Amino acid sequence: MSSAPASHRWRAALFRHETLLLALLATEWCYFNAVGAHFGTLDNTYDIVRHSVEFGLLALVMTPVILTGGIDLSVGSLLGLSAILFGKLWRDAGLSPAAAAACTLGIGALGGGLNATLITELRLPPLIVTLGTYSLFRGLAEAITHGSDTFTNFPPSFLFLGQERWLGLPAQAPIFIVVALGVWLLVHRMTFGRCFRTIGFSPEGARYAGIPVKRRVGLVYVLAGTVSALAAIIYTARLGQARADAGTGYELYAITAVVLGGTSIFGGVGSVHGTLLGIAAIAVLDNGLVHARQPREAAGVLTGVLLLIALTGSVAPKLWAARRRRPAASPPPPASAVSPPLATPPT
Amino acid sequence: MKKIALLLLFAGLALAGCSKSPDTSAPGAKKLTVALLPKSKGNAYFISCRIGAEKAAADLGVDLIFDGPTDTDPAKQNEIVDNWTNLGVDVIAAACENKEGISTALRKAQAKGIKVITYDADAQADARSFFVNQATPDGIGNALMDEAARLCDKSGEYAIITATLTAANQNEWKKYIDERNASFPDMKLVAFRPCDDDKDKAQAEATALLSTYPNLKLIMSICSPGVPGAAEAVKQAGKAGKVKVMGLGLPNENKRYVHEGVTDSVILWNTQDLGNLTVQAAVALVKGTLKPGDTSFTAGKLGTFAIKGDNILLGKPFIFNKGNIDQFDF
Repeated sequence: MSSAPASHRWRAALFRHETLLLALLATEWCYFNAVGAHFGTLDNTYDIVRHSVEFGLLALVMTPVILTGGIDLSVGSLLGLSAILFGKLWRDAGLSPAAAAACTLGIGALGGGLNATLITELRLPPLIVTLGTYSLFRGLAEAITHGSDTFTNFPPSFLFLGQERWLGLPAQAPIFIVVALGVWLLVHRMTFGRCFRTIGFSPEGARYAGIPVKRRVGLVYVLAGTVSALAAIIYTARLGQARADAGTGYELYAITAVVLGGTSIFGGVGSVHGTLLGIAAIAVLDNGLVHARQPREAAGVLTGVLLLIALTGSVAPKLWAARRRRPAASPPPPASAVSPPLATPPT
Repeated sequence: MKKIALLLLFAGLALAGCSKSPDTSAPGAKKLTVALLPKSKGNAYFISCRIGAEKAAADLGVDLIFDGPTDTDPAKQNEIVDNWTNLGVDVIAAACENKEGISTALRKAQAKGIKVITYDADAQADARSFFVNQATPDGIGNALMDEAARLCDKSGEYAIITATLTAANQNEWKKYIDERNASFPDMKLVAFRPCDDDKDKAQAEATALLSTYPNLKLIMSICSPGVPGAAEAVKQAGKAGKVKVMGLGLPNENKRYVHEGVTDSVILWNTQDLGNLTVQAAVALVKGTLKPGDTSFTAGKLGTFAIKGDNILLGKPFIFNKGNIDQFDF
């Protein structure tokens, strides 16, 4: 493919998943802007950002997890547990919000570390491990609060983070930008992070190539845990309240955004900028439907349809091209067209 | 070729979206818009409120948006209120799932000139103008005692099943039941038992009560699982009709026993009236006919309601019995 003429490369770029997704996003934006008189306002745009930062953060760190062929179902529950512990540290242990936030990030890292240890040391499948911690973390949050205790009355200086503007932007936006940039650099610009895709493509191959698979895989889960705690802090600041049921279902939004963004659920293929587009597509749809005066349930249906269209749109041309080429020489289809087999637990 | 077709499709969609003039589909230029937020959208209780709300909206000629969370994430209510704020509705009426959390969003709406009232469950006082209060503790206590006395012809032994002995709500109601009991000197409370908000435990307690107090004339439950629990106990003991069952509860979980003649009355408030009054109060607030400091509010055909402080009182609880329980589905 590298020797293809310029026009072919241009066409390849045009039909990349990200390009299609960008067109989809533009369509969404134009449509909602046309039917909703207040959709395109700055206030509404900022609300879209505020509402999507937390699940967006989860989607960002979910990307390297899925790239390695894994999955982390526990991020939403860890968000809930972190929010509760943050509240406890602040209200009951008397820490300042900043100190409590620092400890909460540590707790998030520990939670991610638990996933990492079980997955890499005991070689258990990520799906099962994180399904377990999904229940465990939420259960702990509910046990600590007996399902009824909530944490409120945070100082305004802390609530600023979730509700006010800083440099003209929603205060949480710069944090999101920094994390997004960090994860992008990690995955796309550092050899260290590039090996995530290698691992996802073939953990055995990665091991023979001398990649410390265990440590790399462990790292993505610790990162996911830490950023879940960060999302919990922002969530608490936005709502002004920490509850045990914070972030329920966010893991699924995050996974949807990642897959919509073009990352193969089997690992090995995908990008962080794709995930960013996926986050935006979901967030705009969710908000825009209210402005189009459609019921909220429609968001679920349309997110599903969007996901299927995006997946079909990106796979169909490749499959079609492969089929057209077959009668002549019948070479194997290009690797990227076919998802690699389900990754075995890394060793 | 297929790729180009796909791209054209997207481009076409985008153009179709962009070329539409924003004004043509802007909803009802001058019509008031009331946004009604339930705690959760699928809850039968709120669906019942919605029926009343839609009736009020039709009577008053206003647009009603009824939308709420479909999952349990506590941030969802805030997001909906934020969206309505940007949408520029005239008034938001909210049943608050989490008081402190949603107050932030409601205050933001108020800052943008949107009127806010709450119903069913209140927000913080500075985040709304009025709270449509569906039931006061004295209203509930009095209604329970009066109905019990009516069923017993004002004399006889009765027992109360409560949630837990420390439950704040229930103890508040019990206080007013005791006060009201003074007007019925021949009504004698013989037992006050907890059921831990559990139907099976309530059934066991009721069975024990039936054998301990052979002259018992009535069992009153002041927590909702207790009513069907006590009814099942009375039914199994073959004492239906001899020992009356009544209490605070939801129509649906008691319908069967009411029709079988085991349970006589289920007391709650009229949820349809709650929705109706909420919408009427919301519209009146926007039109300026309802102002802070008012002591009463006249809601069309629904009647006149007292206002205590900033609480609009729905008034006396509603009694569901054989004659009317089938009109309610929650």
